[in-house]
Amino acid sequence: MPEVRAMAEKLNVGGQGSPFAPEEAEILGVADLTALEKLFKLRLTGGRSLGHAPGQFVEVSVPGFGEAPISICSSPTQREIFELCVRKAGTVTAALHGLKAGDRIGVRGPMGRGFDVEEMAGNDMLFVAGGLGLAPLRSLINYVFDRRERFGKVWILYGAKTPQELLFTNEFDAWRKQPGTELMLTVDRPDENWRGTAGVITVLFRKLPKVDPKRTYVAVVGPPVMYKFVLLETLSLKIPRNRIFCSLERHMRCGVGRCGHCQINNVYVCKEGPVFRFSQMESLPESFA
Amino acid sequence: MERVVTAKDLAALADDMLRAGRTVAGPVRRKERYFYEAVSRGADLAFDFNYCVYSPRSFFFPPGETLLTYSIGTNELNVAPEAPRTSPVIMGVHPCDCNAIGLLDAVFGSGVPDDHYLARRKDSVVVAVDCHGPCDPTAFCRDMGGNEAQEGFDVMLTPLNGGKGQAAERYLAAAATERGRELLAYNKVGKEPARADRDAAEKFREAKAANFSRRLPYAVEKLPAILDRSYNSLLWQVTAKRCYSCGSCNLVCPTCYCFTVKDVPDLSCASGKRVREWDGCQLQDFATVAGGHNFRPESSSRLRHRIFRKGKWIKEQQGRMGCVGCGRCDRACTAKISVVEIYTQLAEEA
Repeated sequence: MPEVRAMAEKLNVGGQGSPFAPEEAEILGVADLTALEKLFKLRLTGGRSLGHAPGQFVEVSVPGFGEAPISICSSPTQREIFELCVRKAGTVTAALHGLKAGDRIGVRGPMGRGFDVEEMAGNDMLFVAGGLGLAPLRSLINYVFDRRERFGKVWILYGAKTPQELLFTNEFDAWRKQPGTELMLTVDRPDENWRGTAGVITVLFRKLPKVDPKRTYVAVVGPPVMYKFVLLETLSLKIPRNRIFCSLERHMRCGVGRCGHCQINNVYVCKEGPVFRFSQMESLPESFA
Repeated sequence: MERVVTAKDLAALADDMLRAGRTVAGPVRRKERYFYEAVSRGADLAFDFNYCVYSPRSFFFPPGETLLTYSIGTNELNVAPEAPRTSPVIMGVHPCDCNAIGLLDAVFGSGVPDDHYLARRKDSVVVAVDCHGPCDPTAFCRDMGGNEAQEGFDVMLTPLNGGKGQAAERYLAAAATERGRELLAYNKVGKEPARADRDAAEKFREAKAANFSRRLPYAVEKLPAILDRSYNSLLWQVTAKRCYSCGSCNLVCPTCYCFTVKDVPDLSCASGKRVREWDGCQLQDFATVAGGHNFRPESSSRLRHRIFRKGKWIKEQQGRMGCVGCGRCDRACTAKISVVEIYTQLAEEA
């Protein structure tokens, strides 16, 4: 307890050090991606670079509506700006959808632990995304492409419910053109124009060329029902569990490991995650809830 | 520093603090029960109380507090963090609640420090009053180690007379921190203790030790291991069948610190505040995310979560048990679910 007081003295408490105080960010541009998702291009007006790692998130504030945790979908190689792909799913995100270029919002972060890109470097990369899960993965995918020489082969497996719900379709061609890269798509419910694979994401594993389990890292992001089955697929590829990364979604309200909302068993996703290794998830039964 | 003080001295000390502009709070009798409340005169404080319905945590971590204010109008972000200005003097805190304050200090002081909690805590003074035995049959503080204050207090009052059913009038006041020494030095409250006073205090402590008995059939050190073996026990479902998910246990718990954050606009909607409010892991939507997926939809998974936090995970994270054994949750439960019973039954089947 005396330590707490000493800390209070040192901090010179008076609200300025509030962990809830957001930084101002300016919306530089808004683009419609699908009927439900918009892409926001942002810049911190204080001039600071966000300095995130792929897989980290920010708490986005729209005063009057509140805060929501949103994963960063741009690569950290873009230092001047950062991007958020926002699905209209609640109060805050609906308010965000009503904003336009020039408007200012609040941002706290980057928060949590992202993908360990240093450890991944030098290896082949298998990306598996389901639905909105492509947003955080895009940060890592574009990071890998911006450092292409540091990575081996790249496979991107991406599934959505319908063709209309596919995100970042305008970047697919650029991804396909990258050397040693394969993009494989599937939709659960194809329409008459869809000529690709149909079915849930696991069907893409049947078409996946042979991967070398000794030099492949996996990054999975998607809803629980998706990653449960995808993780089993990656296991059958004999890839070690500590090289399989998965990002977990929870509603982080404070972002500093206290409010309890994002807790999975004994870990706070906002601090220890959102990116976990499969080997960690095995001791977190709630991550498969 | 030690002083001998009477109940009257303590009331006068509280009045001095009030005159100095401090917020003074402590147990206040309301009909048959006691509640921690801010008082306007020291005489309203009760030092000889059984238990307070709620814990004193609300004075450092209020059920609702403003984190920042905002205004809308220009396209700029106009937010101003709000600094709490009250650092209360709380007089009359039992050892279990002192330990709970110690846990909250660790929680809000570690990692990214919580300015809002720390501002309230910074100049606060906690005057503990020792208890002579279990305050209620629901208490299991002896098992949890909650009946001996380890931290979270500045002055400890040891009753020198009175006892079961009889109000104490004199106390040995011992400062545990610099803040406590300052308080006791203020107007030189009470008098220097005599040899007989120290003996009486020692006698009280001896009697106290004999008055508490264990309720769990095992030592609490074994609880984390017992829980480890009980994650998939059927007991969670059997017990949670009765749970109404009302969150009463969360509400009265001295160590619960989960919260939610939301914006509350003024009528004009041109300005407003961002507030933090207590939340409870037993409430149905606690683990629901945007889009509607609930990661703990069954009351059994929520009950298990709470018990694991209190009996294992908080200990792993903060080095202190997440439960002090005050018994409030058992008393408050609308479905008569008992944590002690759960702890006992788990050991029987584990």
